[in-house]
Amino acid sequence: MAQLLTKRKLFWQITLALVVLMVVVLCCSLIGTKQISLKSVFARAGQPNTINPDYEIFMHVRLPRIFLACIVGAALACSGVVFQAILRNPLADPYILGISSGAGLGTIIAVISGLSLPILGNSPIAIFAFIGAIGTIWLVWFIGRLAGKSNVTGLLLAGVVVNAFFSAIIMFLTSIAKSQQIYATIFWLMGNISEESIFVLWLAAGLTIAGIVALFYISPQLNALCFGADEARSMGIDTSRTQLIAFAVAALITSIAVCLSGLIGFVGLIVPHGVRLVFGPDHRRLLPLSAITGAIFLTAADTLARTIVAPAQLPVGVVTAIAGGPFFLFLLIRYTRKIGWLNK
Amino acid sequence: MNIIEVKNLSFSYSETQVLRNISFEVEQGTFLAIVGPNGAGKSTLINLLSALLKRDSGVIKVDEKPIESYSTKALSEKIAVVRQESTPVFGFSVIETVMMARTTHYGQLGFETETDRQIVNEALKVTDTDRFAPRLLSNLSSGERQRVFITRAFAQDTPILLLDEPTSFLDYKHQVGIYDLLKKAQNERQKTILSVTHDINLAAQYADIALLIAADNNYVYGPTTDVLSQKQLEKFFDTKIFTADIGQGKFFMPLGKFAKDAGLVKTNNKRQT
Repeated sequence: MAQLLTKRKLFWQITLALVVLMVVVLCCSLIGTKQISLKSVFARAGQPNTINPDYEIFMHVRLPRIFLACIVGAALACSGVVFQAILRNPLADPYILGISSGAGLGTIIAVISGLSLPILGNSPIAIFAFIGAIGTIWLVWFIGRLAGKSNVTGLLLAGVVVNAFFSAIIMFLTSIAKSQQIYATIFWLMGNISEESIFVLWLAAGLTIAGIVALFYISPQLNALCFGADEARSMGIDTSRTQLIAFAVAALITSIAVCLSGLIGFVGLIVPHGVRLVFGPDHRRLLPLSAITGAIFLTAADTLARTIVAPAQLPVGVVTAIAGGPFFLFLLIRYTRKIGWLNK
Repeated sequence: MNIIEVKNLSFSYSETQVLRNISFEVEQGTFLAIVGPNGAGKSTLINLLSALLKRDSGVIKVDEKPIESYSTKALSEKIAVVRQESTPVFGFSVIETVMMARTTHYGQLGFETETDRQIVNEALKVTDTDRFAPRLLSNLSSGERQRVFITRAFAQDTPILLLDEPTSFLDYKHQVGIYDLLKKAQNERQKTILSVTHDINLAAQYADIALLIAADNNYVYGPTTDVLSQKQLEKFFDTKIFTADIGQGKFFMPLGKFAKDAGLVKTNNKRQT
């Protein structure tokens, strides 16, 4: 049975992907407005009381930012995988159930009310966005459950309606806000990666990795869920439990990503599809490889975003959409035979 | 031994009563055909027996224990279900699909064990689907795909098999192929098979017992030869039916007003009265 995924094959593929990620991280950390090289970074290592500007840039500016891009990319890609599986919808992405509008609403409320609560050294925008995102998705889940227990259409519709409703409120608030405030909101909504404090980074990384591990743990069940909840149940799978874990974890890691970097589109849609096109739909492989590919993709996109119009910076969401779209189309044409929903 | 016992089972979707006071018992190793007009509650019955729906009243016992005493996993070791056409959203291969039947038995890290592989290999061989094991489900014909889902049900390794119209979209060759497969599993491995079908003739040829349900909550249960009679079928389906003996079984042909041989039904009926 050579066609089946084995533990050994998965191990090597993940290892290889991690090596590629390392290489990309290293390359991207040396590119920027100031050209630095590994040699200059570690030139005066070990000598106390000297300040090496290259080392400072490398360790305290570039690496944290790249680290952040990796966390956000992995989180968005994984939650895209999960939403596509539990909603049984290839068009699903991390924002499909209203996270984006919830986060947007949180942001604009924070900006308009002019609140400044320095929590964990973070701007109130991020915290409000997080609350908005998590709150919205639980609202959608609650409404979806009322609409029908095992019915994903109810969930999708609830997401669409809540999204539309919150967007309307956002537009209302925008129309009464001052232009300066609107600019801050819009820039944040476009998706933007910047430097964060080390504590926030480690916290976010820890939660995201724990989330991805939890999702990997339920990946065989996600495979069965692709055939529908009824089918999965008759194969002995506790579908409510699986759906709840998948939903809660995906919502949490998406909210973390949104809170850190605003709304970065496309990663959660095209990375899962790209990996699925090349490696097939088995979630035991799809999930870890999507996480790594998401990290690679967003790191590369962010490097472009901060260098292409240097010294100015583009919102990374613009780069992901512009670079990701054509790349995805290439994959689509190259590997079409591998996905089922296109052949129907 | 009765592997399935249903007593006074009733079920309704909000206002509409679908099943009323149905009782029947199925011995292990029998082939039961569930027939009846659209909307009579055949699929509902399958969903009740696989615990997807909760009944309003009555008792369902599987292997002498009430169905609600089973966990989802434990029930999946007793009953496997084959539904009409279920294609996944994403392109799984045949072998991946069949292997999913073993999901609840997977070992550490969510990978199949050697036993799972053996069971799956055997199921693939029995149903003759091993020759397209690496192919994608979406690239198969509906007949082949239905065979794969039956293979997956076999790989679940259960004493009971529920099927909801397994042959509705299939040509003669695949219809007969699937019924032969089921009959073989019944004869050789003592499987209990409950199949919902619209094909009265195949039911008459393959099933030992039959349950005929009507939309007005009436039902008849018993040996196929008793239940599937012209008189009863005409009553339950509200249609004129021509019948003739063929060997051990009977042959049924529904004839509408404008059918070429519509006249046959009248003479056929007269001869009986």
